[in-house]
Amino acid sequence: MKNRVREARGERGMSQADVAAGLGVSRQTVIAIESGRYSPSLPLAFRIARFFEMPVDQMFDPQEEVGT
Amino acid sequence: MSKNHRSRFVAPAVVLAAGSVISGAVAIGHAWNDAVIAEVVTVLLSFGYYMMTKSDSDIGAVYGNRADERQVHVVLKASRNSMLVMLAIAFVGVVVTVAMNEVYWQFDVLGSAGGFAYLLSLLVYGTHDESANGPGDIMSGKSS
Repeated sequence: MKNRVREARGERGMSQADVAAGLGVSRQTVIAIESGRYSPSLPLAFRIARFFEMPVDQMFDPQEEVGT
Repeated sequence: MSKNHRSRFVAPAVVLAAGSVISGAVAIGHAWNDAVIAEVVTVLLSFGYYMMTKSDSDIGAVYGNRADERQVHVVLKASRNSMLVMLAIAFVGVVVTVAMNEVYWQFDVLGSAGGFAYLLSLLVYGTHDESANGPGDIMSGKSS
Protein backbone atom coordinates (compact mmCIF):
# COMPACT_ATOMS: atom_id res chain seq x y z
CA MET A 1 0.00 0.00 0.00
CA LYS A 2 1.41 3.34 -1.04
CA ASN A 3 1.68 6.01 1.63
CA ARG A 4 2.92 9.57 2.02
CA VAL A 5 4.69 9.11 5.37
CA ARG A 6 8.18 9.80 4.00
CA GLU A 7 6.93 12.82 2.09
CA ALA A 8 5.02 14.24 5.07
CA ARG A 9 7.98 13.66 7.36
CA GLY A 10 10.33 15.41 4.90
CA GLU A 11 8.01 18.41 4.61
CA ARG A 12 8.14 18.82 8.37
CA GLY A 13 11.89 18.27 8.60
CA MET A 14 11.47 15.40 11.03
CA SER A 15 13.69 12.36 11.48
CA GLN A 16 12.40 8.80 11.49
CA ALA A 17 13.24 8.70 15.20
CA ASP A 18 11.06 11.78 15.81
CA VAL A 19 8.12 10.17 14.02
CA ALA A 20 8.67 6.87 15.85
CA ALA A 21 8.67 8.65 19.21
CA GLY A 22 5.55 10.60 18.28
CA LEU A 23 3.67 7.48 17.20
CA GLY A 24 4.94 5.21 19.97
CA VAL A 25 6.47 2.68 17.58
CA SER A 26 10.03 1.67 16.80
CA ARG A 27 12.22 3.45 14.27
CA GLN A 28 12.44 0.16 12.36
CA THR A 29 8.65 0.15 11.97
CA VAL A 30 8.66 3.70 10.58
CA ILE A 31 11.32 2.58 8.07
CA ALA A 32 9.22 -0.48 7.14
CA ILE A 33 6.06 1.63 6.65
CA GLU A 34 7.87 4.25 4.57
CA SER A 35 9.35 1.61 2.31
CA GLY A 36 5.99 -0.15 1.96
CA ARG A 37 7.24 -3.38 3.52
CA TYR A 38 4.67 -3.12 6.27
CA SER A 39 1.07 -1.94 6.10
CA PRO A 40 0.04 -0.56 9.49
CA SER A 41 -3.09 -1.64 11.33
CA LEU A 42 -6.12 0.65 11.18
CA PRO A 43 -5.47 2.19 14.63
CA LEU A 44 -1.84 2.93 13.72
CA ALA A 45 -2.85 4.27 10.29
CA PHE A 46 -5.25 6.70 11.97
CA ARG A 47 -2.55 7.67 14.48
CA ILE A 48 -0.15 8.38 11.62
CA ALA A 49 -2.73 10.49 9.76
CA ARG A 50 -3.56 12.41 12.94
CA PHE A 51 0.15 12.90 13.70
CA PHE A 52 0.72 14.52 10.31
CA GLU A 53 -2.67 16.28 10.41
CA MET A 54 -3.82 14.70 7.17
CA PRO A 55 -6.93 12.70 6.26
CA VAL A 56 -6.17 8.99 6.41
CA ASP A 57 -7.22 8.45 2.79
CA GLN A 58 -4.69 11.04 1.68
CA MET A 59 -1.95 9.51 3.76
CA PHE A 60 -2.61 5.95 2.50
CA ASP A 61 -3.63 4.84 -0.95
CA PRO A 62 -4.70 1.19 -1.10
CA GLN A 63 -4.87 1.29 -4.92
CA GLU A 64 -1.15 1.73 -5.37
CA GLU A 65 1.72 -0.44 -4.24
CA VAL A 66 5.04 1.14 -3.28
CA GLY A 67 7.59 0.75 -6.06
CA THR A 68 5.05 0.36 -8.87
CA MET B 1 12.87 1.73 38.36
CA SER B 2 10.49 2.31 35.42
CA LYS B 3 8.27 -0.40 33.99
CA ASN B 4 10.12 -0.15 30.68
CA HIS B 5 13.45 -0.68 32.41
CA ARG B 6 12.09 -3.56 34.52
CA SER B 7 10.70 -5.31 31.44
CA ARG B 8 14.24 -5.54 30.07
CA PHE B 9 15.04 -7.97 32.85
CA VAL B 10 12.30 -10.48 31.96
CA ALA B 11 14.07 -12.35 29.14
CA PRO B 12 17.46 -12.44 30.94
CA ALA B 13 15.71 -13.58 34.14
CA VAL B 14 13.90 -16.39 32.28
CA VAL B 15 17.20 -17.52 30.73
CA LEU B 16 18.90 -17.37 34.12
CA ALA B 17 16.11 -19.33 35.82
CA ALA B 18 15.93 -22.00 33.10
CA GLY B 19 19.71 -22.33 32.96
CA SER B 20 19.94 -22.58 36.73
CA VAL B 21 17.38 -25.41 36.75
CA ILE B 22 19.48 -27.25 34.16
CA SER B 23 22.60 -26.57 36.23
CA GLY B 24 20.79 -28.06 39.24
CA ALA B 25 19.93 -31.13 37.21
CA VAL B 26 23.57 -31.44 36.17
CA ALA B 27 24.62 -31.19 39.83
CA ILE B 28 22.19 -33.97 40.78
CA GLY B 29 22.86 -36.30 37.87
CA HIS B 30 26.49 -35.57 37.09
CA ALA B 31 29.18 -33.65 38.97
CA TRP B 32 29.40 -30.37 40.85
CA ASN B 33 32.16 -28.97 38.66
CA ASP B 34 30.05 -29.62 35.55
CA ALA B 35 27.15 -27.81 37.24
CA VAL B 36 29.39 -24.81 38.02
CA ILE B 37 30.45 -24.65 34.35
CA ALA B 38 26.80 -24.86 33.27
CA GLU B 39 25.88 -22.04 35.67
CA VAL B 40 28.74 -19.83 34.47
CA VAL B 41 27.58 -20.34 30.88
CA THR B 42 24.02 -19.53 31.99
CA VAL B 43 25.07 -16.27 33.65
CA LEU B 44 27.05 -15.23 30.57
CA LEU B 45 24.11 -16.10 28.33
CA SER B 46 21.73 -14.16 30.54
CA PHE B 47 24.03 -11.13 30.43
CA GLY B 48 24.16 -11.45 26.65
CA TYR B 49 20.37 -11.40 26.52
CA TYR B 50 20.31 -8.30 28.73
CA MET B 51 22.73 -6.53 26.40
CA MET B 52 20.50 -7.47 23.45
CA THR B 53 17.48 -5.90 25.16
CA LYS B 54 19.28 -2.54 25.02
CA SER B 55 19.93 -2.62 21.27
CA ASP B 56 17.97 -0.42 18.86
CA SER B 57 16.70 -3.32 16.77
CA ASP B 58 13.74 -5.64 16.35
CA ILE B 59 15.49 -8.30 18.45
CA GLY B 60 16.22 -5.74 21.17
CA ALA B 61 12.58 -4.63 21.20
CA VAL B 62 11.30 -8.21 21.37
CA TYR B 63 13.65 -9.33 24.13
CA GLY B 64 13.14 -6.01 25.91
CA ASN B 65 9.34 -6.47 25.93
CA ARG B 66 8.68 -3.25 24.04
CA ALA B 67 7.65 -4.72 20.67
CA ASP B 68 5.23 -2.66 18.59
CA GLU B 69 2.56 -4.14 16.30
CA ARG B 70 4.94 -4.92 13.40
CA GLN B 71 7.43 -6.52 15.74
CA VAL B 72 4.63 -8.66 17.20
CA HIS B 73 4.00 -9.89 13.63
CA VAL B 74 7.71 -10.67 13.34
CA VAL B 75 7.50 -12.66 16.59
CA LEU B 76 4.49 -14.62 15.28
CA LYS B 77 6.30 -15.52 12.06
CA ALA B 78 9.43 -16.51 13.99
CA SER B 79 7.36 -18.61 16.41
CA ARG B 80 5.62 -20.36 13.51
CA ASN B 81 8.96 -21.15 11.85
CA SER B 82 10.50 -22.45 15.06
CA MET B 83 7.46 -24.66 15.65
CA LEU B 84 7.71 -26.07 12.12
CA VAL B 85 11.39 -26.85 12.67
CA MET B 86 10.61 -28.54 16.00
CA LEU B 87 7.84 -30.62 14.42
CA ALA B 88 10.12 -31.61 11.53
CA ILE B 89 12.81 -32.69 14.00
CA ALA B 90 10.24 -34.63 16.02
CA PHE B 91 8.98 -36.36 12.87
CA VAL B 92 12.48 -37.30 11.69
CA GLY B 93 13.34 -38.37 15.24
CA VAL B 94 10.34 -40.72 15.43
CA VAL B 95 11.04 -42.19 11.99
CA VAL B 96 14.74 -42.77 12.67
CA THR B 97 14.32 -44.18 16.20
CA VAL B 98 11.46 -46.47 15.16
CA ALA B 99 13.54 -47.73 12.22
CA MET B 100 16.47 -48.36 14.60
CA ASN B 101 14.16 -50.04 17.12
CA GLU B 102 15.17 -47.49 19.76
CA VAL B 103 13.13 -45.55 22.33
CA TYR B 104 11.10 -42.94 20.44
CA TRP B 105 8.61 -41.57 22.98
CA GLN B 106 10.57 -38.33 23.53
CA PHE B 107 10.12 -37.34 19.88
CA ASP B 108 6.52 -38.55 19.95
CA VAL B 109 5.74 -36.33 22.97
CA LEU B 110 7.45 -33.34 21.34
CA GLY B 111 5.50 -33.72 18.08
CA SER B 112 2.18 -34.54 19.73
CA ALA B 113 2.43 -31.64 22.20
CA GLY B 114 3.30 -29.22 19.40
CA GLY B 115 0.41 -30.43 17.23
CA PHE B 116 -2.03 -30.37 20.14
CA ALA B 117 -0.95 -26.85 21.14
CA TYR B 118 -1.47 -25.73 17.53
CA LEU B 119 -5.02 -27.13 17.40
CA LEU B 120 -5.82 -25.71 20.83
CA SER B 121 -4.56 -22.29 19.74
CA LEU B 122 -6.79 -22.40 16.65
CA LEU B 123 -9.76 -23.11 18.91
CA VAL B 124 -8.86 -20.45 21.46
CA TYR B 125 -7.88 -17.63 19.08
CA GLY B 126 -10.19 -18.48 16.17
CA THR B 127 -13.43 -16.60 15.62
CA HIS B 128 -16.55 -18.61 16.28
CA ASP B 129 -19.44 -17.09 14.38
CA GLU B 130 -22.33 -18.58 16.27
CA SER B 131 -24.94 -16.28 14.72
CA ALA B 132 -24.30 -17.40 11.13
CA ASN B 133 -27.54 -18.14 9.28
CA GLY B 134 -29.47 -17.15 12.37
CA PRO B 135 -32.72 -15.23 12.22
CA GLY B 136 -30.95 -11.90 12.73
CA ASP B 137 -28.34 -12.52 10.05
CA ILE B 138 -29.36 -10.20 7.23
CA MET B 139 -26.40 -11.37 5.12
CA SER B 140 -27.58 -14.99 5.06
CA GLY B 141 -29.92 -14.33 2.15
CA LYS B 142 -32.89 -15.92 3.95
CA SER B 143 -36.07 -13.95 4.40
CA SER B 144 -38.21 -14.45 7.47
